[in-house]
Amino acid sequence: MTRRAVIAGIGHTDFGRLPDRSAFDLEVEASKRAIEDAGLGRQDVDGLITDPGPAQGILDGITPHYLALGQYLGIDPAYTGSDILGGASSAAIIQRAVLAVEAGLCSVCLCVYGDSALSTPGSFGYGRGDDAAFGLFGAVGIHALAAQRHMHLWGTRPEQLAEVAIAARQHAARTPHAQKREPLTLAQYMAAEYVVEPLRRPDCCLMSDGAAAVVVTTADRAADLRQAPIEILGHGQANRLSTWSSPEHFDTLPAARCGPETFARAGMSPDDIDLAMLYDCFTIVVLMQLEDYGFCKKGEAGSFVEGGRIGPLGSLPVNTSGGLLAEGYGGGMLHVIEAVRQLRGTAGARQIDNAETALVSGHGLGMNTHSTLILGK
Amino acid sequence: MPPNDQIAYPLPHPTDFTKPFWDACQDQHLVVFACAGCEHLFLPGGSVCPKCWSTDLSVREVSGFGEVFSFVIYRRTYHPAIPAPYVVALIELKEGPRLISTVIGCAPEKVSIGMAVQIQFEAEDGFMLPRFTPQDSAPTHKV
Ligand SMILES: [Zn+2]
Repeated sequence: MTRRAVIAGIGHTDFGRLPDRSAFDLEVEASKRAIEDAGLGRQDVDGLITDPGPAQGILDGITPHYLALGQYLGIDPAYTGSDILGGASSAAIIQRAVLAVEAGLCSVCLCVYGDSALSTPGSFGYGRGDDAAFGLFGAVGIHALAAQRHMHLWGTRPEQLAEVAIAARQHAARTPHAQKREPLTLAQYMAAEYVVEPLRRPDCCLMSDGAAAVVVTTADRAADLRQAPIEILGHGQANRLSTWSSPEHFDTLPAARCGPETFARAGMSPDDIDLAMLYDCFTIVVLMQLEDYGFCKKGEAGSFVEGGRIGPLGSLPVNTSGGLLAEGYGGGMLHVIEAVRQLRGTAGARQIDNAETALVSGHGLGMNTHSTLILGK
Repeated sequence: MPPNDQIAYPLPHPTDFTKPFWDACQDQHLVVFACAGCEHLFLPGGSVCPKCWSTDLSVREVSGFGEVFSFVIYRRTYHPAIPAPYVVALIELKEGPRLISTVIGCAPEKVSIGMAVQIQFEAEDGFMLPRFTPQDSAPTHKV
């Protein structure tokens, strides 16, 4: 019988401003919580894959992130590594864990994201190589270029970007650990200052200190563990490293490629998805993904999200814990964890009825990287 | 003395691949890389053509005309040497390649997608940067 990988454990720290705690301290806590949630112990862990957050300077010095975290955890995994796909990393390391577990390289693989971005000044406002000479700083500039294109090509309006930000706050209001739980009105959105026009402050994700971890193991192993296993129905990845020499860059995401591929592997279509946990570093990316994954036609995401369709009572709830815009910057791993909670039926006040399938995405760097998971119970 | 005078401008760091581009800028020539194998014109530079991996490459001067593919207005200052508001634009050159630059010579609010623009070299700390101005308002191209 073939080995099939499932998600058996989840755990995370508080998210917000935690100035007294290092990223590694947070990652150790999240790791312990995820292993405990699964009903396993440290001696069971034989795989460790990490997603170091932007502030962790993975390339500084000679100690790779997985080595430092492994030292703190005191483990000697058979399989290890760190992925540096920006916001696509969290879903990508789950994918890598699935491949490693199903290939027999390891049996209990801990996947860990963590960062102390809020307490590490300057970690997000970095220059983009030589383009800094023209003032291109931070991820926001790149995404504002995409937003301007979307508005130009499809007539997308600020009120439609606002729907994404407002829905995120509505979800976060039902999420006790979310960082930004107060409601956002359309008037407040429209009055908010621009950061990089056409993106306003509420179009941009939060910054957070925090860590989150997920345990991937075999279905056989999970059968005797504490939690009902969550199935991985499909996974995929697509990357556009050629950046803006690619004609379609800014007009589609690599999701337009790995979305249909992942649905095909799962034998599913967008109509089969109950919940979508879409990487939401900026509101525009949610709109683009709704199109590129086929939840609506190209150019129609603006009208698709109107009327609360992606809110708590909508037909396609998106980011039911508030996402990066309101729950906290969890790198993408909190998106995975929220999908697991909804599918387990343990999402509390925000539980969506009859949630059986969830799509989880990751999106990173200058819109170069993308990863997809389809989860089910 | 205002603080801006003490802050170094974030100038490019030419590499082996990009040095021909930046060197040409210093002489106020805009160049792209040209592949003899497949005729592809591209930026940024590299050691192979990204379309066919030919190493038979040369540098070719282009017209300096193009249009705004997309643009944004920074309303927040990220670097003290580049105070907001300012425009960052992705320019599509008439010859095809795209590059990040800025549009000067008009109010940021006047910039639009599809706007015709023209090269305007300007020095920062003695280093020539290729910026763009609206085509109808561009001063005579200095050579
Ligand atoms: Zn070629």
